[in-house]
Amino acid sequence: MHLSSAEETIQRLIFSLSELEQLGQTLISGHSNFNVSSKTYLRITLGTLQATRGAILCFHPTDNYLTIAASTPEVEVPPIEIEPDEVESLLQCSLIELDTPPAALKRFIDRNAELLNDKAKHRLWVPLKIHDEFLGILSLGKFLGRAVLEEWEQELLSILAHQISIAIAYSRNEARIQSEKFRLFMLAESAPQICQLLQPEEAAEQVVHQAVAFLDANVGGLMLIQPQQQNLELRYAFPETVISENDDQNRNKPISISLKDIEADTAEANEKTAFDMLAGVVKEGRTVRSAFRTETFLGGKNLMAGPIQGRDGDILGVLVVGDKEERGGRIAEFTDEDEILLDSFAKQAGVAIENAHLHQEALDARQLQAEMEEARKIQENLIPDTLPDIPGYEVAGHYEPRGPVGGDYYDCIQLPTGGWGFTIADVSGKGMQAALLMATLRAGLLSELSSSRGRENNESVDMKNELIDMAMTLNSLLYVSGTEEKYATFFYSHLNPKTDTLTSLNGGHNPPLIVKNDGNIVWLGEEVGGLPLGMFPNDMVPLIAKYEAEQIKLESGDLIIFYTDGVTETVNIEDEYYDEERLEQVAKTCTESDASHICNLIYRAVMDFQGDADQFDDLTLLILRKK
Amino acid sequence: MANKFDIQIRAEQGYAILETAGYLNDALGEQLSREAQKLIEKGYTQLVINLDKTALINSIGISILIEIIEALEERSGTLNFCGLSATQERTFRMMAIAKYAGIFPDEKAAIANF
Repeated sequence: MHLSSAEETIQRLIFSLSELEQLGQTLISGHSNFNVSSKTYLRITLGTLQATRGAILCFHPTDNYLTIAASTPEVEVPPIEIEPDEVESLLQCSLIELDTPPAALKRFIDRNAELLNDKAKHRLWVPLKIHDEFLGILSLGKFLGRAVLEEWEQELLSILAHQISIAIAYSRNEARIQSEKFRLFMLAESAPQICQLLQPEEAAEQVVHQAVAFLDANVGGLMLIQPQQQNLELRYAFPETVISENDDQNRNKPISISLKDIEADTAEANEKTAFDMLAGVVKEGRTVRSAFRTETFLGGKNLMAGPIQGRDGDILGVLVVGDKEERGGRIAEFTDEDEILLDSFAKQAGVAIENAHLHQEALDARQLQAEMEEARKIQENLIPDTLPDIPGYEVAGHYEPRGPVGGDYYDCIQLPTGGWGFTIADVSGKGMQAALLMATLRAGLLSELSSSRGRENNESVDMKNELIDMAMTLNSLLYVSGTEEKYATFFYSHLNPKTDTLTSLNGGHNPPLIVKNDGNIVWLGEEVGGLPLGMFPNDMVPLIAKYEAEQIKLESGDLIIFYTDGVTETVNIEDEYYDEERLEQVAKTCTESDASHICNLIYRAVMDFQGDADQFDDLTLLILRKK
Repeated sequence: MANKFDIQIRAEQGYAILETAGYLNDALGEQLSREAQKLIEKGYTQLVINLDKTALINSIGISILIEIIEALEERSGTLNFCGLSATQERTFRMMAIAKYAGIFPDEKAAIANF
């Protein structure tokens, strides 16, 4: 059936009205995303106007370019750059014939016409806009059966373009609302969650992940202040590939920024490095945004960093995010709203990080306490419960643990030859390491004494050399057993009760005090000092201070007081040391007493001197008195 | 710096599974959208997106997921998610994604509920 022109127009008008209704339905259906609905809008527009081809281009105002949202037939076109004055010109037009464009747009059209599948095939552009906001372009090809649109068709096109403009604006607003909703939800959701994390590493990871996600960033990192080193150290980065230095020399070494001599204000933004920027955040205590010409250590060029603060307002570190992305993968600058969000989140993150570190410190303290208990048990097991009876002699000892586990040790060992070995030592450091080193020293000493040292019971054996050899063996043992700063001061005396000779060697220990039977005072081993055991390897010992031994003959009434520095370095509340002089004075007053009584007198004298002052070192006494 | 990501696709009889790994941002999201679109054009209208290996999603990732839901709805199709963390599940419910797509603990449940 052949329709008259009027009938055809009426039918097309009916069709157009029905399509317009469909457009309205599309808009209110909840399918607000223009990326999806744009095809429907284009299809309806082309159908209504009986156009064979066309495209809808969306304008991206942040970076001034257009992208194709929908096209018939489908074409792949890269983003089209557009100048601000060209946008202004488009806003002035309601319809542009591509063959006769306004002068201001000629260059733009010539530049991009071919991108739209050949200039000849697209004839009309209708700028998409609402008020003064440019939203895009509806581009149309030729129309079936006619060269130009009739007046009523042009009016219809104008209505369709307006509908499409509303759809784009509505979609963008929806996207903005959804994005803000997402970011606020994430902020509200993530803050309480991270506050529950108890492992510092896990807290750091979650803080960075959440910040990266809700700020639409591509990279992020958390740097915490190391107060002792005065630097900022990278604790977690996303992606994780940047956590440690990349060059061979510094591989596995965390990235850190020195906070000494920060001069954040001096450099212009473009001259600053990312390190300057982050150090500046610590100095100024506020969130900063900076763009860099080249990729920063985190990988991004546009960074935003804010201070992480603890409960009392101290700056604990810096939370940094970088390269905020937009739809299409373009990098956008962080906004004022982003800065507010980062600030809010950083406050919560500070509490979370502080919580996790306090929890870790509490765990470490508990573990340390358990280790100390264990170490004390080891140490106490090494101290003899009772001391032997030596014919012609009295022996007494006292060990007083004070403060953290120290490394005092004393012993009186019966030798296979019938002689006796008296030893007192003080291992450096505290805790399990000190206790284990002391156990090593004791085991080495017992091994030496049971093998050869002092085995010979006649004067032909050069006991001095025996002790020097033993000291070298023990030095070597402790040197290989201990860490760099682990060593032991050590004093050893070999008593031959048959000859009453006492051969002694000093390895850096406090010289024992001898109160002779005539009241004279002698400091044993003072002249023959040697190095503490384990401080240097054997080949270095002779070069620094070789071990020497001395021999004395004991007489009836002679009193020898072995002690550790816990005695002479006891302090009173006025911060005075008990020192050797006071020890000497009290020793002189008790030469007529037996060894146990003397030991008790000295201990009481030291404790009286100490009064209410705190002590942190063990106190050890070993008394030998010849009857 | 590149975000390491990946998408594994398994097309089965009547449905297909898209399994993402990495940060669901614009790059991974666009790739996911393209793959989903290809499947839809091939006639797959029942899709599962497994996010078990995706710990992080940003707002662009969310908007792309919404687009996939809308694209499937145009074909009267269904999208089911699985492998979501508790936070992701709450996010999906808050963003109304759960209104238009199913959320299930694993692939088996997601497939069984088409």
